Amino acid sequence: MSSKGNTSGADPSWGKRSDLEVLNRDIRRVDGPDKATGRAVYTHDVRLPNMLHAAVLMHPVPRADIRTMDISAAEALPGVVYVLRVKEDGKDVQYSGDDAVLAVVAAESPEAAMDGVRAIVVDAENKEPVVSTERAKEPDAPLVARRRRATSNITSRRARGEEDAVKAALEASAAMVEMEIEIPVQHHVCLEPHGHVVDPGGEGENATVYASTQAVSGMSGAFAGKGMLNRKASEIRALTPHMGGGFGAKFGPGLEGRLAAQIARATGRPVHLVLSRSNEFTMGGNRSGSKQSLKLGADKTGKFTAIHVVAERHGGFGGGAFPGAPYRYAVPSVFVDTMSVKTATDSSRAMRAPGHPQASFGMESVVDQIAYALKMDPVDVRKKNLTADTHHRQLDRVAQEIGWNDHPNRTAPGTPKNGRAVGIGFGVAGWSPGGRDCQCDVTVHPDGSVISATATQDLGTGARTYVAAIVAEELGLTVDQVTPRIGDSDLPPSVASGGSVTTGSSAPAIKDAAHKMREALEAKLEPVLQAPVGGYIWTGGRVHSEEDPTNSLAWTEVCALLRDPLQVSGRFQKSLYEGRIHGVQAAKVEVDTMTGRVKVLKMVAMQDQGLPLNRMALRSQINGGMIQALSYGLLERRVFDESDGYLLSDNLDLYKIAGAQEMPEMVAIIDDEDERDSVCGMAEAPIIPGQSAIANAIYNACGARLTRMPFTPDNVLEAIHGEV
Amino acid sequence: MADPQDPRPDKDAKVPALSRRSFLKGAGGVAAATGVLQGAVQATPQEGRAATLSGTVELELTINGQAKKVTCEPRTTLLSALRDRVEPALTGAKPVCDMGSCGACTVMVDGKPTYSCLTLAVQCKGKEVTTVEGFGTPENMSDVQEAFCAKDGMMCGFCTPGFVVATHACLDRNPDADLDEIKFELSGNLCRCGTYPHVFDAVQAAQAARKAGGQDR
Repeated sequence: MSSKGNTSGADPSWGKRSDLEVLNRDIRRVDGPDKATGRAVYTHDVRLPNMLHAAVLMHPVPRADIRTMDISAAEALPGVVYVLRVKEDGKDVQYSGDDAVLAVVAAESPEAAMDGVRAIVVDAENKEPVVSTERAKEPDAPLVARRRRATSNITSRRARGEEDAVKAALEASAAMVEMEIEIPVQHHVCLEPHGHVVDPGGEGENATVYASTQAVSGMSGAFAGKGMLNRKASEIRALTPHMGGGFGAKFGPGLEGRLAAQIARATGRPVHLVLSRSNEFTMGGNRSGSKQSLKLGADKTGKFTAIHVVAERHGGFGGGAFPGAPYRYAVPSVFVDTMSVKTATDSSRAMRAPGHPQASFGMESVVDQIAYALKMDPVDVRKKNLTADTHHRQLDRVAQEIGWNDHPNRTAPGTPKNGRAVGIGFGVAGWSPGGRDCQCDVTVHPDGSVISATATQDLGTGARTYVAAIVAEELGLTVDQVTPRIGDSDLPPSVASGGSVTTGSSAPAIKDAAHKMREALEAKLEPVLQAPVGGYIWTGGRVHSEEDPTNSLAWTEVCALLRDPLQVSGRFQKSLYEGRIHGVQAAKVEVDTMTGRVKVLKMVAMQDQGLPLNRMALRSQINGGMIQALSYGLLERRVFDESDGYLLSDNLDLYKIAGAQEMPEMVAIIDDEDERDSVCGMAEAPIIPGQSAIANAIYNACGARLTRMPFTPDNVLEAIHGEV
Repeated sequence: MADPQDPRPDKDAKVPALSRRSFLKGAGGVAAATGVLQGAVQATPQEGRAATLSGTVELELTINGQAKKVTCEPRTTLLSALRDRVEPALTGAKPVCDMGSCGACTVMVDGKPTYSCLTLAVQCKGKEVTTVEGFGTPENMSDVQEAFCAKDGMMCGFCTPGFVVATHACLDRNPDADLDEIKFELSGNLCRCGTYPHVFDAVQAAQAARKAGGQDR
């Protein structure tokens, strides 16, 4: 890149977009060949000499007294090396989740470990399971909340706003809609389950933990304490070269990490403990469910007047997430009453935009409904109540791309023809991706090789690729000339990947390091090319002074000036980051009103994020958000057997996620009118509004308001015909 | 599975009649002990020690064109054999659902895409097994692998080996597949990151390159 205007001592800047030679283009993922050929080693794939395979025994229902557990038969099985009793006799299981882990068997092979699990004999007395929130709310329901002095399973209740004033404003409104929304619990379904391979190391050796984690920097410390490896963090190295999906579920070691550490310590052998799919569904976390009762008022011009929301968070044993109301729209008079309803089920965890898709579905449903109640265009009503210009331009562009302007039902829903109806719906998003301290080292060797190193992890976002690409851009190199090193707690520390914080934190640190390296090299060039630091152009693998383009050096010639490897360290720079993004999505669906089947025909998403580092990876992320939202809207629902407490949907046949045949035409639009000279993460935003857009499209098609997710044929038929 | 020492490859055709679930669950008297976890049952510890009925079998499998000696049990799945019982381990095929729902463990067996989690290693004696590693290396990728990289047909990458093998199968079987047919061919594979549109792009790119080059790889 030409890097003009970056004079010595000046803060680094991303530079004019037209000058960029590497960034803001389609960049091939640097680890693509490893992933496409099976060479990429994930935690699940780690194979060490003398490694034990561990399997977990879980109690299959949420609440029980464990009277006795006999592990002797398991211990005696050939191949079984160690049985770790997790629940002592006489203890209870309080919820379906990590508290239901009874024992772990470590063996010479995965099959022998499973044999051991099957050979454990448990005598337990099961109690009423309390898996449904309806049951949990009843006064005589057993208390599942662990909080002392709790008298109810309803906790953390908090109301905000003047309820009487809001009610009065609603009554005085030209239009008012009321809706009851129900959203089931969703699972992350990371294809690689939670797990670790813990190598305790030999006498006098350090320990190594291979972790499928979103937080590799923190892993050494997390495995250090008592009850873990009982060593100093400095004696533990954590590695996450690749990881098979996280979506918010994989931060700390979890119980599974602790148990692997304990077995590794007890046996002195490496332990492979990766959850089975059923374990993963039971204890791997989830997106909390939600029940919302909403009332929204508007004046006759479509301007919102007041909103009244009572929302329950269904986070199982945890608190659940809900960001409040009104979601993204401006409403002058607001009353919000939120609470958590505890059940004896696995705790919710962060999941891509925690709470936001739930809030979006409630809000966008009443926003949409009130537009039709006023016989107005729902896009116009949205624009009247959204303050950000970015939302306005994105709504216009997305409406155009989905074909809204030629669509017949713009102010009233359509009527089915031969049982089929086509509709279009919209939803908006917003997120504040973080950016905080983070470090990166860039090293240049005399032979011209370059290393960019930061302990971040690549969850599939393409982080590894920009770790190299940002440095390549600054030094006028190609991406393959820079070796990225990530996924290692021994590297300069980076942030845990949550809340779209990774790019906003690490990209500025990488840029800062690259900029410092450029300046350090320019200082060495001064006697050769006679220009001051800041007076050079780095492009096409060569450098020349701004004054004299004819006098240039090749990259290898520059590096040959070095006697020793040169290393610089960069840190997060606030000036390179801005964490405020929007996003709009639209869906076009076909509803079969005879069968209740919904087919999504097309989805469009538009996303802003400042400078796009890698346009191809960015489109992948936007598509991924749309697809996860489609899957959430149409298919996903955790199901418990309410009388006995079995998790029925603990496998990928009964917990359905979207596959190839559900894929509509998809258009991912990068908002290039966002010309901010900054970067930030963006992956939360595109998962927020898709399911709302699909529900609104169903209404637009045939006038059936889907208030209960997912939009399966039974729920669709009920919305069309009323309860049957 | 009368005699674990005699896997009798000529009886292969009959093996699929035995569901893997019943086969695995029935493998060993130990299975009975899981019964104690059903509800508030009053289980008594088994008399004496549980015994395993499994023995070990020496097999020779042809994997990626090479004969490999594998020591496994009659119940060992092909997936487990590849990942845990051959040297060096072939971990490209991934264990994800363990029940034939997701396709992450897809390999070719005699040229047919096969869920290796639903296939017993002993069933593969005398057959050609090709894993994702057998199609290409990072240094010398197959046309499909190259297309996945060019079109960003992957994110976290855990499903990618399965999709790559399924795509090879799709293009072998139906070189002119249109988009709907491609979706059908890949409908046995699941991705959570939401890579499908770029996977479809990759399949079409590989298809176009084959047509332009007039040859298969």
